[in-house]
Amino acid sequence: MSTFKLIVSSPDGDIFKGEAVMLTLRGADGDLAILAGHIPFITSVKPCDCKILLSDGTEKLGHTQGGLLTVAQDQTTLLSGSFNWKE
Amino acid sequence: MGADTKALRTRIRSVDSTLHLTTAMGLVASSKIRHATEVMNKSRQYAKAVNNVIELLTACNECKKSPFMRESKDGKICIVVIAGDRGLAGGYNANVFRLAKEYPDADFIPVGKRACERFGGDGYISAENFTLENGAELSKRLCEEFTEGKFDQLGVIYTKYVSVMTQEANIEWILPLTASQKKNNAGTIFEPDELTILNTAVPEYVNGRIMGLIRESYASEVAARRMAMDSAGKNAQTMIDTLQLEYNRARQGAITQEITEIVAGSDAQ
Repeated sequence: MSTFKLIVSSPDGDIFKGEAVMLTLRGADGDLAILAGHIPFITSVKPCDCKILLSDGTEKLGHTQGGLLTVAQDQTTLLSGSFNWKE
Repeated sequence: MGADTKALRTRIRSVDSTLHLTTAMGLVASSKIRHATEVMNKSRQYAKAVNNVIELLTACNECKKSPFMRESKDGKICIVVIAGDRGLAGGYNANVFRLAKEYPDADFIPVGKRACERFGGDGYISAENFTLENGAELSKRLCEEFTEGKFDQLGVIYTKYVSVMTQEANIEWILPLTASQKKNNAGTIFEPDELTILNTAVPEYVNGRIMGLIRESYASEVAARRMAMDSAGKNAQTMIDTLQLEYNRARQGAITQEITEIVAGSDAQ
């Protein structure tokens, strides 16, 4: 499966940096999923659970208190003031 | 002469214990510098990333309607003052307070124990342990108060980390936002629209900037303390050397005098 470069960033540094297959979260207009090759896009993120699907099939689950999602051609960045991994 | 050497010995011992203290504090500061600068660089990256998005948004005409971009001249000023939790850091705290004095009519929100002692009111007691939750809470409160019109300009007085040797007290203006000239070259789509994203992104932006400046100030504090302890240590060593010389002279003087007395005594016999 094709992957894209994902960075989850907080003021205390990058929480996640690597290749991902899919990112799922809640944007300003509802739930959305980002896949490789998505058009450049910016939205605000509501407080929600985020799911990151990696190329080996593992899923990482986290919670954000809101933030900004920017999708550029070379990378996708989730800027979150507060992001915690869920076990 | 005996009492003189005793007093000098006591002074040497006292300065020596001060030297031990400054060396220990200098070592603690040195070990903290690396971590503090790492954290500072990380939060700078975050602030830069949020700033890029904000610049893209403020370039849109639609966003000029945002309450965060309202023009204000000679309005009420609110300033977040970031100082240290402890002293013994050279002019670190004094420089921040000197800069704050230039804004006598401003409302101050102190961060750090020294700033809280100086300005009182509703502040945050620790700059070292300022958490992301504290940052989110502070930025939310500031954005709400700004939109309600409680103040028209938001600034942050912090200490800029130039290098381990140099730190400068500085002020950065965060709100209102100014329109940028950055062009949306990539054809980025905004969902739902630029204005809504800007209004929800501003607290995130304020949080990112304030957190970045707090982390930078802390790195400056640690570096300033290291430099201060370094020079205090050098001064203590010079003082010990001078006292030691004085002590040796006094001791030698006493010995010479004793010998002269003995010789004079034996000659008289």
